[in-house]
Amino acid sequence: MIPSAHGIPQEEKIISTRNLKFTYEGGVQALHGLNLDIRHGDYVAIVGGNGSGKTTLAKTLNGLLKPTSGTVVVNGRPTSEQKVAALAKVVGYAFQNPDHQLFCSSVEDEVRFGPQNLGYSEQEVRQKVERAIEAMNLDKLRSVAPLSLRLGERRRVSIASVIAMDPQVLILDEPTTGLDSGESLELMDRLKRLNGEGKTIILITHDMKVVAEHARRVIVMANGRMILDSDCRGVFSDLAILGESSLEPPPVTKLAHRLAKHGISPDVVSAEELVVQLMKSGGGG
Amino acid sequence: MMGGFIDLYTEADTFLHRMDPRVKIVAVLFLSLLAFILTNLTLLLALLVLIFVLLFLARATITRTVFALKFVLRFMVLIVVLWPIFDPTGTPVLASLGPLKITEPAIWRGVTSAVRVGCLATVWYILMFTTSQRDLVRALVKIGVRFDFGLTLAISLRFLPTFGALIDSIKDAQRARGLELSKGGLLKRSRNYVAVLVPTIVSALRTADTLSLALQSRAYGARADRTYLRDLNMRSSDYATLAVLVALLVLPILAKFVMNVAI
Repeated sequence: MIPSAHGIPQEEKIISTRNLKFTYEGGVQALHGLNLDIRHGDYVAIVGGNGSGKTTLAKTLNGLLKPTSGTVVVNGRPTSEQKVAALAKVVGYAFQNPDHQLFCSSVEDEVRFGPQNLGYSEQEVRQKVERAIEAMNLDKLRSVAPLSLRLGERRRVSIASVIAMDPQVLILDEPTTGLDSGESLELMDRLKRLNGEGKTIILITHDMKVVAEHARRVIVMANGRMILDSDCRGVFSDLAILGESSLEPPPVTKLAHRLAKHGISPDVVSAEELVVQLMKSGGGG
Repeated sequence: MMGGFIDLYTEADTFLHRMDPRVKIVAVLFLSLLAFILTNLTLLLALLVLIFVLLFLARATITRTVFALKFVLRFMVLIVVLWPIFDPTGTPVLASLGPLKITEPAIWRGVTSAVRVGCLATVWYILMFTTSQRDLVRALVKIGVRFDFGLTLAISLRFLPTFGALIDSIKDAQRARGLELSKGGLLKRSRNYVAVLVPTIVSALRTADTLSLALQSRAYGARADRTYLRDLNMRSSDYATLAVLVALLVLPILAKFVMNVAI
């Protein structure tokens, strides 16, 4: 149901890249001419093996890396003309390792750091901090030292510290890595809520279960190229593409593939859907 | 960028690369001593030229040599400029302004000291460009440094590029939170760096903790008399080099302190 990227009207796009190429100083070309449009309110997962260019792509979207050639346009202006600090208001980026961001002596101070940098008034800062603390369920931890928290909690603090800048787009690099399933579920549930409130979410991940359950659009990267841009069903039913980018579909989709000869549709992406399919085929014969 | 330059060693097959690292350490120490003993500008310049000939023979590329010089050169210029200002002794006086007196011998003393500092700073590159970190540590342990200290040094050197990358990543992470590191006055800027410094130290401590567990789980320290995969052996050419070096150091010492020749 996702229209092709180029069919999106200009005003709906928040980020768009044209022939985006990026080469690292050492001469490694990490991105080979990407054309990508991201719309307001999208929930996009960028997936691909290690070294496929996911993180490099994400870093070009908030201006941490400027394109070697081609353009990245955020809110109508090329990133090459904008400072990272200015772009941080529009595109928030939560790094993979929360410990790379945390340095304050309390969770609340940590969350305040971003909006204060952006020069909001004390009242605005307080409002944004409260919203971020609420969004990541950190109310009970607000006066605790972030570094004394568990990984799942530290991750939530680092995400809250980005949300507090109230960016329209939230990029999350491997947010579920190292979390147990309970923590992972809670975090993903909170992100879903933020997306429901209108935030655009870009998820960089290996976790196909998370992708299947949350993303509406999946971009598959391999060797610095986008090899597929589709909805979840499209991606997981294409086993060849997944193999090329060293990804595996979620277990439930794999099971559906194996049950295909019994009349189960192979494009199942959640346990609920499989149950429905099984009921149908069971009822029918 | 940081990662590439912190390990100065470049692989090549020159006589300096093949030389026993212990001899190279002795050579560098001797040449440094020589730079201290010599007071004659011509001889010091000759020593500086010798150091650069050796660097050239070690196949140090131009970029690397320029890199090596860049830091030193600033110091050398600073010495040449500041020396005459703080040393008003000697005649003839070239210029004077109130209590400030610039004398000709002071200028020469400044230049001499600058060249000496140049020698002392660049001579280490001969060792660093031609000796892998592993060989360096091996040599130190063989000379008598305790293995723990050698290992500590090896690990520190090994982790320098890692921490370079870590600091880059932390800087990026904080810039993504709107931090502008180069904004504001000196005080504000140093405060900005707290946001980089704290995560760096915390990550470094976490890494050190994990590393010590990893070492212990691989039986580090189980036996006092450990064995080594690669051992160092002095060859006849190494002994010959050592002899030349001793002569190079002893002769000037004899000349200066026994025969009272000004060198």
